[in-house]
Amino acid sequence: MIAARRSLLSWSAFFASLAALPPLLPLLGVDGGGAVQIGVLNDIGIYLILALSLNIILGHAGIFHMGHTAFFAVGAYAAAILNTSCGWPILSALPVAGLLAALLAFLVAVPVIRLRGDYLLVVTIGVVEIVRICLVNNIFGLTGGANGIAGIGRAVILGRRLTTPADIFYLIWSFAALSVLLFSLLENSRFGRALNYIREDEVAAAGCGINTGRHKIQAFVLGAFWAGMAGTLFAVKTRLVDPESFTFSESVMLFAIVILGGAGSMAGIVLGTFLLIGLQEIFRDFLEARMLVFGAAMVAMMIFRPQGLLPARARRYDTGGRTGASPGAAGREKKPGPPAGNGAAGT
Amino acid sequence: MKKLPFLALLTLLPFLASAAPSLAGPVKIGLLAPLTGPFASEGQDMKNLVSLLAEELNRAGGVNGSPVEVVVEDDGSAPRSAANAANRLVARGVPVVVGTYGSAVTEASQEIFAEAGIVQIATGSTAIRLTAKGLERFFRTCPRDDEQGRVAAETIARLGFRNIAILHDNSVYAKGLAEESRERIRRKGVANVIFYDALQPNERDYSAILTKLKGIGPEAILFTGYYTEAGLLLRQMAEMRWSVPMIGGDATNNVGLVEIAGKAATGYRFISPALPADIDTPAARAFLAAYQAEYKTLPGSIWPVLAGDAFNVLVEAIKARGTDPGAIAGYLHKELRDFEGLTGKISFDYSGDRVGDLYRLYEVDAEGRFVLVP
Amino acid sequence: MQEFLQQLINGLAVGGLYALIALGYTMVYGVLKLINFAHGELFALGAYLGLTLLTALGLAGGGPAAVALILLFAMGLVALAGYLLERVAYRPLRGSGRLTAVVSALGASIFFQNAMMLVFGAKARVYPGGILSGEVFTLLGAQIPATRILLLASSLLLMLLLYWFIHHTRTGAAVRAVSLDQGAARLMGIDVNRVISLVFLIGPALGAAAGVMAGLLYGQIKYDMGVLYGLKAFTAAILGGIGNIPGAMAGGILLGVIEALGAAYISIAWKDAIAFCLLILILIFRPTGLLGERTADKV
Repeated sequence: MIAARRSLLSWSAFFASLAALPPLLPLLGVDGGGAVQIGVLNDIGIYLILALSLNIILGHAGIFHMGHTAFFAVGAYAAAILNTSCGWPILSALPVAGLLAALLAFLVAVPVIRLRGDYLLVVTIGVVEIVRICLVNNIFGLTGGANGIAGIGRAVILGRRLTTPADIFYLIWSFAALSVLLFSLLENSRFGRALNYIREDEVAAAGCGINTGRHKIQAFVLGAFWAGMAGTLFAVKTRLVDPESFTFSESVMLFAIVILGGAGSMAGIVLGTFLLIGLQEIFRDFLEARMLVFGAAMVAMMIFRPQGLLPARARRYDTGGRTGASPGAAGREKKPGPPAGNGAAGT
Repeated sequence: MKKLPFLALLTLLPFLASAAPSLAGPVKIGLLAPLTGPFASEGQDMKNLVSLLAEELNRAGGVNGSPVEVVVEDDGSAPRSAANAANRLVARGVPVVVGTYGSAVTEASQEIFAEAGIVQIATGSTAIRLTAKGLERFFRTCPRDDEQGRVAAETIARLGFRNIAILHDNSVYAKGLAEESRERIRRKGVANVIFYDALQPNERDYSAILTKLKGIGPEAILFTGYYTEAGLLLRQMAEMRWSVPMIGGDATNNVGLVEIAGKAATGYRFISPALPADIDTPAARAFLAAYQAEYKTLPGSIWPVLAGDAFNVLVEAIKARGTDPGAIAGYLHKELRDFEGLTGKISFDYSGDRVGDLYRLYEVDAEGRFVLVP
Repeated sequence: MQEFLQQLINGLAVGGLYALIALGYTMVYGVLKLINFAHGELFALGAYLGLTLLTALGLAGGGPAAVALILLFAMGLVALAGYLLERVAYRPLRGSGRLTAVVSALGASIFFQNAMMLVFGAKARVYPGGILSGEVFTLLGAQIPATRILLLASSLLLMLLLYWFIHHTRTGAAVRAVSLDQGAARLMGIDVNRVISLVFLIGPALGAAAGVMAGLLYGQIKYDMGVLYGLKAFTAAILGGIGNIPGAMAGGILLGVIEALGAAYISIAWKDAIAFCLLILILIFRPTGLLGERTADKV
């Protein structure tokens, strides 16, 4: 309980200090009133929400999923289409965008969820590519082809139009804070524990009466739902959606954030997002060599922190005065990676 | 968990540190270009060409007595990184910006520059809608897709082809041009479009597509994509011993086309703004010679040259009106007339589009040279 | 019928290339259970080194002997790069979870790609023409350029060599043993590290061969060409059953043919989507690919 309160405090401190940035940056005399920094933070915020949702699938349930961009894209396009063609206020599209992404995830997951790790990986990559090809080819005449959809209206909250980057900043980061809150409740729920059990040992989990297939599908659909809503926020921010924003390489980046930050650890994912998205911006001074340095940094970070920057800590339970880890905690000491990985070499 | 806020904020420090106050000094001209990503070769040429222009200008005493500083940011060939790069240019206090190449990428930066009151001159973004938004300080030195579509249709009518195939590559540019051309060809009854589809760029092996096309049997192929694919198509057509005339758009105006296709390029026709070599002004010739001397090669395509022209008109406007963006925009709209650029005479209309009949028909001769078809 | 045959041949040539690259994925996966996402970049590196040697040695008009020489050189150099890649980016991560190494591979891929852009330039580079014969054979009305026959024949030859090596030599047996069970292989006195290094020499060498062939066949190479081919070849390896060498060959050829027929009879713009949909369907009915062994999830 004390640990939980402490973590609540430090999360509050984190979000509060972020919230202070937009008014603070101009006072610090940052060039252009901090528009650069706010712009980058907005990107980081969206990636963070996406990475947190991917964390449910990849980090907690241990499903090899490298296609999260597909759900992000569906959400963004759904919001853009509802706004520009049907005249919906963009933010009211939020739940619908999430639901459509969840629907796609459900349709994909049901037949393939039982595939072994790497086979699932290629299926999810395939889904990203299929979605991108559908968008490019202007499927049903809805997506505008390569041009994408422009002219998305401004978001309005309580009669206030969100026009400045700082407005968007508060929208995105409030949603990020909400995500952290809800996902931490989820992590500590029965459902979250079941997912972790599946990740560590699917056979044993099934033996304990956990319906592993259903849990994995639920995790997949939930993560996709959240990514779809993140897509709406993306549409609010850029006011232009086009297929180039939803490529395979974006999926790769999200995958890297979760693993590099520390699968299953929200604090790690926050740090991973700041590093992987922030570094790309910081390395801008290298001009052409920007991504070269970035790639090398990615390898170096993995070598120095193979378990992730801030790996998830073992679950500890209050055992009524007696110390020592529960069997669940012992499981967490194992190397990350789903059972398919442990089993493959030995079969 | 406790360390988290500080760790995260630590990563922000470099942003803050990089934000040194700007001092009055040289005249800053921003350049937004794709230095990385799929369009990197165009962007790096843009950077080389504009830097050389600035160097020459500074050697001649700069503009209004101050030297010019080119502030380069990488748009990464993608909308998202372009928005960040645009924010950085705004923060670095540039009054005017040259760039950028891709239409969607430019679009992501447009609003940021417009809100900051910065004059932007795009160089390769041909999508029609960019200048249809009523942005007062947005210009472009390249023509629009519809103009090129019109010329493509006229060219096909002039050459007398009745059954044609249109092939694009699903990029914003190629698809826009393909749609415009098809529309014009249909409306004017120029020819029947008996095939219309997209290939995937970077794929290299187009034998399946060419086999299919050969079975359909068009009199000519209009390919609206980029030069690498055009070169590969020509080369693989020759390998199949199939000769059908192919006509391309201005993105195939690149010496790389002949390098890839070799002899198979002979007879290939494309429409494009006039090449610098065909613009008979001493300034253009001298500059290209200097470029050749500096970088041991000519610019790969017309687009970096259009970036050079954007730079030149901005310098001209700053000479006349100083560095106030509003005054510069007004000058470009109303007073700049028939400026002698590297790609011919430059004037802008009320919407910021370049005025004039820019397109010419070129043909590749047996030596692989691009020859103007009169 | 004639067009069908032609499309089949088109697909076979592309498929041969995919298969050759797919072998690199599948071999590395066999011994390390790692998807080497940097493999596509090694393929591109092979194409560039082939071109560099071709121009440096002035062999542009040299005919088949020169081509073989270039091929061997490029294979050797890329094998070295693959070896270094394993030592620097993967070996320190051995035993820290498979996804850790996957992210390192993704980083290495970004690094290689941008290194090639800086060294060789962002522009597409071009192999000089006329190195290989421009002859075209006619078979039942279908036209087959000699270069494509050569490409398909050399990739088949390399695959057969590899198959022989893996199944009929002692070292090959060691490779198979390591991919079956690393621990047991070590107990049997096999130097696992050496075997892994060997795999990182062979796989990239085959990728380099594919790179040189792509250069010779298509003429045009670019620093980011490895992304698309890498993704296709990786898909092919999965299709055939990853970890399985004949599977990679079959998967590559099949993918090439599916693409060509999809483009011919359905739609060019949708052919990749068709290929991925077929892949997903195949995996639903054969969850370990066409030739992959059915293994239990956990022992």
